[in-house]
Amino acid sequence: MAAASGSDLSSEMEVDAFRRLFPLSFHERHLLKSIRPDGRTLGKARDTIISVGAVTSANGSALTKIGCTTMLAAIKLEVMTPTVESPDEGCIAIDFHMPPICSPIVRPGRPAEAAPVVAKQLSGTILSSGMIDLKELSLVSGKAAWMAYLDIYCLDADGSLFDAALLSAVAAFSHLQIPVVSLNDEGRIVLISEDNGGGKLEKEPVNKEKRKLKLATIPLSLTCILHKNYILADPTAEEESIMETLVTVVLDSSSQLVSLYKPGGPVLAQTSAIQDCVALTRQRLKELQKILNEAISDMEVD
Amino acid sequence: MEYVNPEGLRLDGRRPLEMRQLRAEIGVVARADGSAVFEMGNTKVIAAIYGPREVQNKSQQINDQAVVRCEYSMANFSTGDRMRKPKHDRRSTEISLVIRQTMEACILTHLMPRSQIDIFVQVLQADGGTRSACINAATLALADAGIPMRDLVTSCAAGYLNTTPLLDLNYVEDSAGGPDVTVGILPKLDKVTLLQMDAKLPLDTFETVMQLAIEGCKAVANYIREILLENTKQLEFRRGV
Repeated sequence: MAAASGSDLSSEMEVDAFRRLFPLSFHERHLLKSIRPDGRTLGKARDTIISVGAVTSANGSALTKIGCTTMLAAIKLEVMTPTVESPDEGCIAIDFHMPPICSPIVRPGRPAEAAPVVAKQLSGTILSSGMIDLKELSLVSGKAAWMAYLDIYCLDADGSLFDAALLSAVAAFSHLQIPVVSLNDEGRIVLISEDNGGGKLEKEPVNKEKRKLKLATIPLSLTCILHKNYILADPTAEEESIMETLVTVVLDSSSQLVSLYKPGGPVLAQTSAIQDCVALTRQRLKELQKILNEAISDMEVD
Repeated sequence: MEYVNPEGLRLDGRRPLEMRQLRAEIGVVARADGSAVFEMGNTKVIAAIYGPREVQNKSQQINDQAVVRCEYSMANFSTGDRMRKPKHDRRSTEISLVIRQTMEACILTHLMPRSQIDIFVQVLQADGGTRSACINAATLALADAGIPMRDLVTSCAAGYLNTTPLLDLNYVEDSAGGPDVTVGILPKLDKVTLLQMDAKLPLDTFETVMQLAIEGCKAVANYIREILLENTKQLEFRRGV
């Protein structure tokens, strides 16, 4: 019905009005020609930019943009006592925020629905992918270990929030540098700042130099939308709001499946559709790995 | 502790009457109606404007003018130690109120009745002067959104340490316990809209410090005008005018 009335009026109104009033038929007309309103083909993701070291006061940070979706991730390390069950392991706390600046639908007092969902997904993916060995975050067995607080802020929400958030989390961990600390006389861990490190070094440093974390594998993801027989990679917020069936695939650096997420939705997917999504993700993985490596090596040159 | 050394240099190498480096950019949040990033030294703030749009809470709708709402929040990683409660603590609520009232005074609200203008400010890095940076960012963002205003609002802070008036305090100088005077002005109309100070200060010293802050505000205003002009030239160029 809506499509029929849409096509009757389409010759009589402006493109922008048609886009607002009949968004589904607007997009479907584009899909018939295998293209999307912003000119991309169905399987192509938007331009991605990664910049590490954006927040100077944090131990590791990264700013990523996929199209207009912008995420700022920062990691702060604090010392804590490890639990009795795992005395040699540190801990990671992941938090995802969507402040009201990111989108017109988020209001103060009514946080976005997507925020805790993405936070939980991220937590689950990062911890279960085995990217970080928690033993690397240990300082003194049984007494002190690092607690890494990862905070990701969405500065502009234009679809594919999980992809951008995971990318920025991974980039921030790649950039993370563990500071040099030592144990003082009261048994407390004390930060050694670079200026007084030379003079009064009666305290033995617990770790010799600033070091980076060893990442076993890097999980990267792609979100696709299923609509009738089409698979659209990397949707914008507009596409996500009209066509609600999302599939998120997370692969690690050896192209093994880390996570597959399809939270319901009006379209039921055949196995072939899921396999196509995984194939698209595999392609995207190569692009992302290249961009990530460039961003990190740019930082190291500085 | 010495905040101004005998040669007259501050902790970060500035002169007492020197502001930190300013940097601003407009149109950074694509989904917002207007947005801006404003940096004063290491303090980095992002502001986004949504509006004029329909009032979300009908009971707050005013029939002859627009409702202005503001929320100030700091990112968890913005300060030296990680913040536990970045949003609804007392300081954030107070600053939200201050920014709202400052901007409300200069927006021509009677031109947009029964609508709502939302000003959201997020502090990404805090190194003193966040209040001023937020007001400057909000002004730029409002201009980017095309919301009619009486004049720009610019803000700057000044203090008094080691018997020297200092312009644009950073975090270390701010926490020294000396007076901190924050001033917000409408530069063309030459009117003061915001004036806050905590600490004791004799009246004549206060006059000097306030004048210094006003000079700082005027310098910020010049910079903001340059940025807006540059932005307009870019828009003209893109339209092929």
